[in-house]
Amino acid sequence: MNLAPSNDTSPILVALGSDARTLRLVHAGFRMAREQGHPWVAVHVEVMGWETAEEADQARVWLQEAHELGAEVTWVKASSVVNGLVAEARRRSASTLVMGKNIPRGLWGHLEHSKAQGVLHRTPDLRIVALALDTSSPKGEVFQSIGDVVGILIATAVLLVVCSIGAAALSAVMGFPAIPAVFAIGVAFVANRWGRRISAFATLVSLLLYDYWFEARFTLVIEDWRKFLYFLGTLLTVQLVVDLVRRLRLETRAGRRREAETVLLMLLGRALARCSTIQEVSEVLARRLQSLFQARACLLVPGPEDTWIRLPEFASAPDCPAPSVLLPEFSAASREDPLEPLFLDGCSFVSLASTGSTEGLLQIRLGNGARFPQESWGSLQAFAVQGALALERVRWVETAHQARLESETERLRSSLLSSISHDLRTPLAGIQGAASSLLLPAEPLPESTRRDMLSMIHDESERLAQLIGNLLEITRLEGGAIKLRKEWQPLDEVVGAALRRAESGSGLRNVRLDLPEDLPLVPLDEALTEQLLINLLVNVRRHAPESPVDLRAWVEPDSLELEIADRGPGIPEAFRERVFDKFFRLPNGGSGGVGLGLAICDAIAKAHGGKIWVEARPGGGASFRVTLPLIGNPPSLPESENLAEENPWPCP
Amino acid sequence: MALPLILLIEDEATLRRFLAPTLLNQGYQVIQAATAVEGLSMARSYNPDLVLLDLGLPDLDGLKVLEEIRSWSRRPILILSARNQERVKVQALDLGADDYLTKPFGASELLARIRVALRHSIQGLNPESIFDLGGLHVDFERREVTAEGRSVHLTALEYRLLEALIQRAGKVATHAQLLADVWGPGAEGQNHYLRIYMAQLRKKLEADPNRPRFFLTEPGVGYRLNSE
Repeated sequence: MNLAPSNDTSPILVALGSDARTLRLVHAGFRMAREQGHPWVAVHVEVMGWETAEEADQARVWLQEAHELGAEVTWVKASSVVNGLVAEARRRSASTLVMGKNIPRGLWGHLEHSKAQGVLHRTPDLRIVALALDTSSPKGEVFQSIGDVVGILIATAVLLVVCSIGAAALSAVMGFPAIPAVFAIGVAFVANRWGRRISAFATLVSLLLYDYWFEARFTLVIEDWRKFLYFLGTLLTVQLVVDLVRRLRLETRAGRRREAETVLLMLLGRALARCSTIQEVSEVLARRLQSLFQARACLLVPGPEDTWIRLPEFASAPDCPAPSVLLPEFSAASREDPLEPLFLDGCSFVSLASTGSTEGLLQIRLGNGARFPQESWGSLQAFAVQGALALERVRWVETAHQARLESETERLRSSLLSSISHDLRTPLAGIQGAASSLLLPAEPLPESTRRDMLSMIHDESERLAQLIGNLLEITRLEGGAIKLRKEWQPLDEVVGAALRRAESGSGLRNVRLDLPEDLPLVPLDEALTEQLLINLLVNVRRHAPESPVDLRAWVEPDSLELEIADRGPGIPEAFRERVFDKFFRLPNGGSGGVGLGLAICDAIAKAHGGKIWVEARPGGGASFRVTLPLIGNPPSLPESENLAEENPWPCP
Repeated sequence: MALPLILLIEDEATLRRFLAPTLLNQGYQVIQAATAVEGLSMARSYNPDLVLLDLGLPDLDGLKVLEEIRSWSRRPILILSARNQERVKVQALDLGADDYLTKPFGASELLARIRVALRHSIQGLNPESIFDLGGLHVDFERREVTAEGRSVHLTALEYRLLEALIQRAGKVATHAQLLADVWGPGAEGQNHYLRIYMAQLRKKLEADPNRPRFFLTEPGVGYRLNSE
């Protein structure tokens, strides 16, 4: 083959046939074009009058595939394939022609005038890449080594000697017809067992034996030509028929295997469709490869710092080279056939390439560390494509999930921002406005107006301070910056402090307390529990201003229960969980709140290991319930100090 | 008597701008410092009657400033601190600060605290023999306690706790301080003693123990006997 003077735009011409092996040519052409940076043209030559409609349809499928891989496609009609290719190569001044070449088998194969040679003969400048395509499917010969062949030949000879003994015995009784029959059985056995060539050898040996033994009694002279030809005819017929039957059987077997692979691929597709994580995909791939090829397999995904992440985690495949070593091997055109897996250190590697990117590699080790046989390359590729698609889908699902999370966060943030900015601005506007009026150089305002404005400044700044305080509080609570300082203490003390602050601060009135006299000491963070109670009380006052409030507490075996209940409008069932969300406000809720108070309560209850919820109060109103765990035993007082001591006036 | 001199150590100009005129208007003399170093040197030069100290100073930890001043002066020191800093407040009080104010605070609150602190400072270690607070009357000489006109019997420890609170009337007393006053050293961290006795005192002396008038809780810090 000549190396053509290649300029950059001269295309690579790929000649496509119509049979299944053509796909390999398409892939080879695509790969060659990508590596050399040349455009490529897929051409199908229709030999006038010789192509069936099915073949033409199939050829169109291959052209379509080539088109999807970036090829320009043409359909040429010519008197012969060689003529068509030569004309097309000249017309496009192609630099390279890629075509298939049948692997020559037997005498006829060698005598056949190769199309590649024909083209080369007429266009010496063209570089021709002829890919060997296996034509014999299934293979006729099952033996491989010379030793096998010799063994089989000896076995055949022995078998035929036994046949001649049998034939001699039978012919004594039945005469001549028994002889070809017995030999025919022997040859049929050989043909069925070892194929055409050995059976031809068996026929030859049988002829010699017959001639030597029965025909001319220990000479090789043929005396009765009619009998000899009859004998020969019988054996040839048997040999041909049996060989034909054998081939059919092998075809059937191969067909069944292909069918099984198809079903396995379908099952694989179904199993992969159910996967939602990379881990699951890798498990399915490993399991299916195990059942299909009896191979250990795992998925390699590029990890940090030039390493592979090996999935599934339980995979016990042997070590493999780092990505920086392995990946260039893939791009190098080291393999003649693009379907062939990369073979390194006893392992085969298949790239899982989906649309546009490589999702990972499959590392597969056959039981004996051998290469993959050629007939399974196709299924392996199909496997890899399915795996790649599944991985890509999982990746997109994850990306979509991430995007949804982000948009959710963004939504929260923007609701937070709008909420805060509104709630911060309102009091600020009041303060600013009132202060600037007070500063006006015009006539002094009436004393009552002046006081009014000043008290507004005062109230609004207080509101602002509370809002900022709440924001800081929830941030600290949620950021985990707060260390709980639990101390054993009487609940009524905290309740008293909270009531005092709630009543003085927000004008809360008519809270009815129901605390049992004998409440034990409970482990609480005093400041946080006070905050929780205040927030609940303030919340009640805001949403049920006129309602009486009942604050009850009692002790269960391992928890402290608190209830703050009002007779207000209550909270609709749909909102009973959401009221504890940050910045949630009841649609028709009262004014003032920013939706942080209850979120803080929730965070505090959770920090104590307890929980808070709201229920409808029997008879109307809302009932906020808090339960806090009682863990451990309350500390006791030193024995010398008895509270019941009734000696009020100790002597100094 | 000369007007009391107040040293204001505060780095934020806004607060100084509001505090200084307010105090001047109430008849105090005011000197101001914006940094800890400046504040310390002014404290030494002027020996003020009261120090208002912000804990969040840029150049030095406020607690260090407090310790430094407390090492040579017994004059009252009021702490200005941000919200939610109970731990720091307790530290400051245990280091000898007299009281604290949580920012943001109002003028009336500030002036009340200053009045109480100065009164204590003037009374010094010479407590009156009679303490009277509306519904609560204690005669130290006769060891008599009266609540709402009725005589109340207290145990020894309850009486000592009441005494400790009255000594700091109006000011906050931390758990540690009260424990040390009543139980002596060795009771450190036994805050539940204090809480149980406090509950007893309230039961005996408050009209409604759940809504105390006198014995107020400062959550996370300690107690305050309301003297207003």
